[in-house]
Amino acid sequence: MGQMIITGLICGALLGFVMQRGRFCLTGGFRDMYLAKDNRMFYALLIAIAIQSVGVYTLISLKVFEFNAGSLPIVAVIVGSFIFGIGIIFAGGCATGTWYRAGEGLIGSWIALAGYMLVAAMVKSGVLLPLDKAIKETSIESNSIAETIGVNNWLIITIFVVVVAFIIYRELKKPRVKIPGLKPKKTGLAHILFEKRWHPFITATIIGVIATLAWPLSVATGRIGGLGITTPSANILQFLVTGQISFINWGVFLVLGIFFGSLFAAKLSGEFRFRIPDTKTAINSFCGGLLMGFGAGLAGGCSIGNGLVMTAMMTWQGWISLGFMILGTWTASYFVFVRPSKKAKQAARVITA
Amino acid sequence: MKRTLEVMGMICPFPLVEAKEAIKDLNSGDELEVQFDCTQGTESIPRWAAEEGHEVTEYEQVGEAAWTITIKKK
Repeated sequence: MGQMIITGLICGALLGFVMQRGRFCLTGGFRDMYLAKDNRMFYALLIAIAIQSVGVYTLISLKVFEFNAGSLPIVAVIVGSFIFGIGIIFAGGCATGTWYRAGEGLIGSWIALAGYMLVAAMVKSGVLLPLDKAIKETSIESNSIAETIGVNNWLIITIFVVVVAFIIYRELKKPRVKIPGLKPKKTGLAHILFEKRWHPFITATIIGVIATLAWPLSVATGRIGGLGITTPSANILQFLVTGQISFINWGVFLVLGIFFGSLFAAKLSGEFRFRIPDTKTAINSFCGGLLMGFGAGLAGGCSIGNGLVMTAMMTWQGWISLGFMILGTWTASYFVFVRPSKKAKQAARVITA
Repeated sequence: MKRTLEVMGMICPFPLVEAKEAIKDLNSGDELEVQFDCTQGTESIPRWAAEEGHEVTEYEQVGEAAWTITIKKK
């Protein structure tokens, strides 16, 4: 139990710290692919996936632990991920984003988190469990991409790493505009840790390493898995209302660690303040949280569990989920950002005409 | 002319969305001062300004999680 608490909290705190300082936001990243035609954050995610993939499969090859991709509940993954994608736009951040923004003092994220935990717990062990089970009945036997194609996992990983390396090379070669920054007030390590702008690719590299590290740390406490947000978030609520200690696992301390790591980072960089949302934002955050909890529960993972971890494990679940999550964010972005601005333009034209 | 856009309390990406809208009404050489408190904006707003070719004449953290940035329209 002691080991679980310590390694879980440390791993989570590192992740929360790096995500807060590195402004690692997948919701923003997926949204900007559509709104700003900017793929930087998506490429950063690919880097984190590639590093984790090589790291974890090396550990598996060294027989540190075993991994079974299991079966693929295809309908649940598609529908759940799409709904999750819609939810994160309304919540203003994905599952991890919501945890680390809660650490920055955003009350809107606390509200989103409450909705997220509630519905995730309802899907995992509450009134929505029968629905979840019914949808998951439609499943495909093999979830491993390598197994389906009939090749070695390392072949898939190698091809993926080469593609990612090519993308990074092309990205870094592009001429860059100088982005104005704040005048530095700190020096040395304090400047790097609590002030400097981090390149998203550097942030992603560190996240890839933390995600790799999460596996052996989690496995050592009996939980075969890597980073995960949805189930642990649900577990906290399940434990709180049932008092059953069996709901406590490594993941629970991981997510609590994310909150504290982000709080620490925000506090020391002067970025922590309780911020109260207006009514509309509060309602959007809550609804977003509800959709997030339902979607991630159904899909068996959020942007981290499926989008970062199951992708690295080279499963169909991870990649199909990532695709539909992105489609979900684009759909919601259209209704939240694109359509209102088009309407405003039309209204302006009518007035001038 | 200088216009002030107060978007404190607005979550990302709305400060950026509002700034993009607000700058449309300005003439070249006019300034837009954006007061915001969403952390991601510290990255996304100056990045947008730089990529659009506007000049950032002032950029400062004015308090705990509070920033102000002045953008001169190109």
